[in-house]
Amino acid sequence: MLKTTTLGFIVTALLLTTGQAMAAAHAASAADPAKAKAVDALIKEANVERKKAASVGGEWRDIGKMLKKAAAAKDKHDYATATKLATKAKRQGELGHGQAVSQSVFKTPSYLKY
Amino acid sequence: MKNIKTAFLATSSVMVLAGALSFTSVAMAAGAKVAESSVDEGQTLAFTRKKGNCLACHAIVGGKAAGNIGPPLIAMKARYQDDKAKLRAQIYDAEVANPETAMPPFGRLEALSGAEIDKITDFIWTL
Amino acid sequence: MNKLMTTALVLTVGAGLSMSATASTPTEDNNAIKKYFNVKFPKVADTEYVNGVYAVDPIGRESWEAIEDFPPYETFIDEGKAMWDTPFANGKTYKDCFPDGPVLAHKYPHWNAEKKMVMTLPLALNNCRTVNKEKPLKYKKGAINNIMSYISWESRGKVTNVVIPEGDEGALAAYKAGQKFYFQKRGQLNFSCATCHMQNAGQKLRSDVLSPALGHTTHFPVYRSKWGTVGTLHRRFSGCNKQVRAKPFKAQGEEYRNLEYFLTHMSNGLELNGPGARK
Repeated sequence: MLKTTTLGFIVTALLLTTGQAMAAAHAASAADPAKAKAVDALIKEANVERKKAASVGGEWRDIGKMLKKAAAAKDKHDYATATKLATKAKRQGELGHGQAVSQSVFKTPSYLKY
Repeated sequence: MKNIKTAFLATSSVMVLAGALSFTSVAMAAGAKVAESSVDEGQTLAFTRKKGNCLACHAIVGGKAAGNIGPPLIAMKARYQDDKAKLRAQIYDAEVANPETAMPPFGRLEALSGAEIDKITDFIWTL
Repeated sequence: MNKLMTTALVLTVGAGLSMSATASTPTEDNNAIKKYFNVKFPKVADTEYVNGVYAVDPIGRESWEAIEDFPPYETFIDEGKAMWDTPFANGKTYKDCFPDGPVLAHKYPHWNAEKKMVMTLPLALNNCRTVNKEKPLKYKKGAINNIMSYISWESRGKVTNVVIPEGDEGALAAYKAGQKFYFQKRGQLNFSCATCHMQNAGQKLRSDVLSPALGHTTHFPVYRSKWGTVGTLHRRFSGCNKQVRAKPFKAQGEEYRNLEYFLTHMSNGLELNGPGARK
């Protein structure tokens, strides 16, 4: 009697947790137009920064790839990853631009003696 | 009915106790291990090419085929006058101390996160 | 008449003085760079720099000299000769475009005053192809390396002599743009070309010795073991930029052609020694 009851509880618990996991997975792959729109806006901003950096010859290597991955993640409804990538890409655009601007005037290095 | 109730109480109390015990042991271990794991993680980050890649330029005990663009990383506490924050600042942005340095500004250009720099600092500080 | 001449003389001298106070001339740049490397590597003769990293890496030099007994770029030279000798579909040949060819490499890069741009050899080769209705070659990988290897081999011993035409502002601007590029920090890792190839030439990056900038352009195109094939100078520019996490520029685009102009000028006086074989 006890054995079957305990077994019953274990099975129920297992079913509940699996069910929860499935529900969670389902939630991640569900389309969310509001979140998608937010990601689109972020990708757009990142591209603005990227173009700014490129205009002064300061674009970094991975920005383009990150934005491609962000768009792909968004299409799979993985908005968290998409946001993370787009944010990083935007930041790199800003940093690359700042770096190029800070280098805009050529200065002879001190180790070259004229 | 009584049997189900007993079974449920027994199972759940055992589970709660087990959970509590494991949580406590992890918490206790965590307190003692934070510093150690940070140093270990710092070494891994320092030796990883896509992260610190410190061996590209610096000889470091435990690392092989190190470059010699920068000085060997030894006697760090003496070299930094016991000022760990000064070491962290150097890793964050070496250009502050030397505008013509070859060293990448890992923090300023965000090649490493703040947490990663903390761990690397913890490791380098032990050298 | 005399008063006019005196005034003119005073003005010119004054202008010259004020200019040298702010900017160095290309010749002064070369002298400063040569002096820098002579001080850094006092035992290395100027002529040795055509051997690239092996001028300053005696251990690497031994294995390199062994490799040069059976150079990995040989087949590329042969393929290149076949390209040079084979007429285009319209019956014309490269020789029709370049009467002095294949001994050509020392004439490039040069300032094209008419087109107001730096002309490089790969660009000139493709111009020849296009004019003769042939498909242009890609600039980093593939057949360009064959014909470049052949021309480079035939041009060995010719002396680098990049001229920046006196008074041509466009040429000087292109040189200065290349110079600025060379010393500019770029990419997330914040390196300039000069960081490795001037400031730290001869030092080791992991196990690899950093080659000096002086002499770099004398041994291209280059067979790189890492590539398993021959590649162009602009392919190497592109790779270096990617290594420091900068987005590379277009091969044979303005940035890299100006960079090539500056970099080759730096090696003025050095003999061409291509194709090269490197790690």
